[in-house]
Amino acid sequence: MQVSLSWLSTHLDLSSYTVPQLSDLLTFAGVEVEGIEERGVTTDKVVVAQIESFVQHPNADKLSVCQVNDGTGIRQIVCGAKNFKAGDKVPLALPGAVLPGGFAIKEGKLRGVDSMGMMCSGKELGLGDDHSGLLILDAETTIGTPFNQLVPSDVVFDLEITPNRPDLLSHLGLARELSALTDIPLKGQRDYAKTSTKSKSAADDQVALRATDVCPLYTARIIKDVKVGPSPEWLRRRLESIGLRPINSIVDITNFVMMEMGQSLHCFDLDKLHGGIVVRNASEGEQMLALDGQTYTLLTDDLVIADPKRAIAIAGVMGGEETGVTEATTNVLLEAAWFTPSNIRRTSRRLGLSSDSSYRFERGIDPQQVAGGSELATKLILSIAGGTAEDVLHVAGEVPALTGEVTLDEDRARKLLGTPDLTGDEIHTILEKLGLGKKAATKHESRWHIPSYRADLQRPVDLIEEIARVIGLDRVPSKMTAVAVPSDATDRAYDFAMTLRQALVNRGCFEAQTLRLIADVQLPDTLGGGTGVAVKNPLSEDHTTLRPSIIPGLIATAALNIRQGADRLRFFELGRVFLKLPNGNSREEERLAILISGPVSPSSWHARTPHAADIHELMGIITNLPGLSRVSIEPKAVKESPANFLLTSELRAGNRNLGWIAQLHPSRTRDISARHPVYVAELLLSALRQGSTGPAKFEELPRFPGMTRDVAMEVPADLPHAKVAAFFASQKEPLFIASEVFDVFTDPTGQKIAKDRKSIAWTLTYRSPEKTLESAEVDAAHQRILAALEKALPATVRR
Amino acid sequence: MLSQLDSLKTDALAAISAAQDEAALETVRVNFLGKKGSVTALSQGMKDVPVDQKKEVGAKLNDVRTTITDGIESKKFALQAALDAKAVEGIDITLPGRPSTGNGAMHPLTQIRDLAIRTLRRLGFILAEGPEIETEFHCFDALNTPADHPARNEKDTFYLPDGRLLRTHTSSVQIRTMEAAKSLPIRIIAPGAAYRRDEIDATHLSVFNQLEGLYVSNDVSLADLKGTLEAFFREIFGPNTAVRFRPHFFPFTEPSFEIDVKLEATGKDARWIEIAGCGMVDPAVFTAVNQSRGDNLFDPETTTGFAFGLGLDRLAMILHSITDIRHLIENDVRFLQQFAA
Repeated sequence: MQVSLSWLSTHLDLSSYTVPQLSDLLTFAGVEVEGIEERGVTTDKVVVAQIESFVQHPNADKLSVCQVNDGTGIRQIVCGAKNFKAGDKVPLALPGAVLPGGFAIKEGKLRGVDSMGMMCSGKELGLGDDHSGLLILDAETTIGTPFNQLVPSDVVFDLEITPNRPDLLSHLGLARELSALTDIPLKGQRDYAKTSTKSKSAADDQVALRATDVCPLYTARIIKDVKVGPSPEWLRRRLESIGLRPINSIVDITNFVMMEMGQSLHCFDLDKLHGGIVVRNASEGEQMLALDGQTYTLLTDDLVIADPKRAIAIAGVMGGEETGVTEATTNVLLEAAWFTPSNIRRTSRRLGLSSDSSYRFERGIDPQQVAGGSELATKLILSIAGGTAEDVLHVAGEVPALTGEVTLDEDRARKLLGTPDLTGDEIHTILEKLGLGKKAATKHESRWHIPSYRADLQRPVDLIEEIARVIGLDRVPSKMTAVAVPSDATDRAYDFAMTLRQALVNRGCFEAQTLRLIADVQLPDTLGGGTGVAVKNPLSEDHTTLRPSIIPGLIATAALNIRQGADRLRFFELGRVFLKLPNGNSREEERLAILISGPVSPSSWHARTPHAADIHELMGIITNLPGLSRVSIEPKAVKESPANFLLTSELRAGNRNLGWIAQLHPSRTRDISARHPVYVAELLLSALRQGSTGPAKFEELPRFPGMTRDVAMEVPADLPHAKVAAFFASQKEPLFIASEVFDVFTDPTGQKIAKDRKSIAWTLTYRSPEKTLESAEVDAAHQRILAALEKALPATVRR
Repeated sequence: MLSQLDSLKTDALAAISAAQDEAALETVRVNFLGKKGSVTALSQGMKDVPVDQKKEVGAKLNDVRTTITDGIESKKFALQAALDAKAVEGIDITLPGRPSTGNGAMHPLTQIRDLAIRTLRRLGFILAEGPEIETEFHCFDALNTPADHPARNEKDTFYLPDGRLLRTHTSSVQIRTMEAAKSLPIRIIAPGAAYRRDEIDATHLSVFNQLEGLYVSNDVSLADLKGTLEAFFREIFGPNTAVRFRPHFFPFTEPSFEIDVKLEATGKDARWIEIAGCGMVDPAVFTAVNQSRGDNLFDPETTTGFAFGLGLDRLAMILHSITDIRHLIENDVRFLQQFAA
């Protein structure tokens, strides 16, 4: 909301405060100052002057040398503007003037010619943005008049009023707050809660109030024989200073009253009404053409102001076009009412129609000021637009009681604020300054009457908040309590995740964080087979679905980096995925995804182009992850690899699914212009973590040396390594303790070994816990294993 | 004999000096000191030396043998030293190191989050979490947000067809934690993603990262909130950082504050930068939690607490002078590399 300092100053004298001090005052009262604009000049040293004559500057093409009458005599001014002629009146800043922004005017020479001041543009005086030339003033203005008499200076604050403080949405409301904070008294001649106009219950044919639940109070007053025209200058200037456009005197007055004291009003053209006012719910599908030129379709939840024939306003939101006040209007009906905030909010949101009026009603205005707002507007209309007003205010319904009394336990206040030294007197002073009335007080407790404009104060804690706001946090001591709370599974999961991250960083991987909302077209990049959760109201087709897998995001990350010229891709992401369950529910789980592509190491003088990673590189990264060091991983090809992948395999540890690994399909790889094959894996964090539970148990070190024997064998090319490993793992030979593959050889040309065969070599380790083995014992055990090997597998051992 | 020994000694030293490797040196040793070596042969002549000369010749013989043995030993050592030196000949230590796999980096958001978590853990906070797909109850109702509050609008909040929503703040974890609590105190922090229906631009993301904190006990005061958060932000931004609390409004805390820290941007004057929101837990939140639990563990008459929330993306941008928030989700490796440890 824009607030004018000069307007505020009609309510209290703020001259002892500088603009920055006022800004701080508001800030620490909980009103955020989003902008400050200083307009016009305060100094008397900017005056109206007349340009008598001018000539071209002898040393500069773009400058003129002007002879200017400042009211006391002729001055020579060098000027760069071009938009003037002899005889024009302009603002002249005399030496010693300080313009907005701190620019000080001095006598001086410009390119060797004396200049005794500066003629100003509007922008230089803080008036608008026009810097194209001098501000040419009305020919009628008097030479020598201080410019600030012509255009009074002002400071406009752009304030963010929090939704709990609708009472601050007017100049009076802010003045009241500033008065409480500064002890500067309100000038006080205006108390809008008191009126001198008589009220009278409205007859049913004047105001028929059919919806007291959402409109507890409606008032109407008829003013006849008005003459609608442009508003006087003071009114136009007030509205313009806070960014409102003057329309006509009647509309301007209602806007002025709203910004002055918070009551939103509406004026109808009485002659366009077909009878009295009816306040009722709209009928389903009822339509109304509003003042903004749009036709709105209403529902029965919406409240309308109507005449006996049709709706003439969407209550509290916007008036109707047909009954609006125009220059032709002579008789008006002035509405002042109190509408239930939630109802106005619902209608405004549903229609996507917000106005200054709905903004105030949906936050809650002061019900005690409804009649006062009507009275102020009536007075202004009579004085500006003339006419005669009915001598009574027609009132339907009752002033709602929104506030009552609140009892404050002052010990509790001190305890919650952490200020044991805060005295009862201090508390009482603060609350009284804020307009609360003390009804009773004991040593530890006080009872307070809440003013009608502070409907936000309903509970003791609301009063404590007021005290905190006024004393400020500087008054509150800083206390530090460290409390020992036992950690839980979330803590352990976090620590494990950080260990994983560090391990991957150490392997040269970069951590990505991609958006959890992905596009439908990314879904085929999902690994792990889940279905994501679609959002009902996505912002764009790029972000429609909560990801069922992290891989789509990593592929997009790969694509972006490839576009930027990256060749070697090493990315991982650790985060949440969302899986739609068959019963319609969803499950969220944490996963780790890895994507690698390109050279195994960065290019360097050691190796200009290191060979590109293959799937075993990725498998190597996985098997060395924390949590997997004591786990044997068995990849198991899934029956139908998703279309965007090849080699898709589930990674299993016993019965436990750890995740999936795959190669990105070459066609998808070409899609993203990757120069090397792309490999991806997605792992379940909970499954990884199972492998890392508990402290490791020490195993006695072997006391005797082991012996090794190698075996080379030829097997069919399609015999998986896992089968051979499983065979060795199953051997019960007592001395045989370990086996490891150390060579795999194939020859696609078929020259060294048949194409459908491969040669593999293993080294087997033998050891006894009791003694140093003899060669002969080892040989015998080895031969027994080889014999079993040839029996169990289609292998030919080379002897 | 004495003169023979002298010339033998001279010959041996010359031979040692001439030896170019260990094998040649071994030949010298065999030739002089071996079973058939010249020194051995001469020493066998000792028995023929007259008695009165035996002492002198014996001493000489010993001297020759020791000299040759020592000569061989020191030559052996010199040869090995030369070999060892040769092993590092031509190595240019100024060349760049071999990169092996190179170094990766954690995402700057992870690093900031971890810094915040480590700091708060030292103050006795533990971690908590909750679902990102939430119910209106946990995201709004229980947090004292009016039924027709604008934040609930479909224009601002993502909904699922079944009426659930994507949490708009991590404050929902406050409710989840209090619902599940067995006893007081509660002292948790909850880092996590939150969602708002904002177009993505230089300062907005539709999915962003927050860190929530909650401390609930029977005697928590505004002074605890102030002390804890001042300590926290001074750990993050430096021990002399100015921290201020501005009164504000949030439905779920009362009183509520926004926190500013005074920071210097390069080349500019220090200015106050809004960094977090906080406040004392509103009793209405305790009442809602009690209703959901079906007990009175969080008795609004006696239970007090503070809560705070901060945007991690914003914190990362401020700390690292990142100008466009989209860098945080694009994951350009040239960006990520800048945050390598």
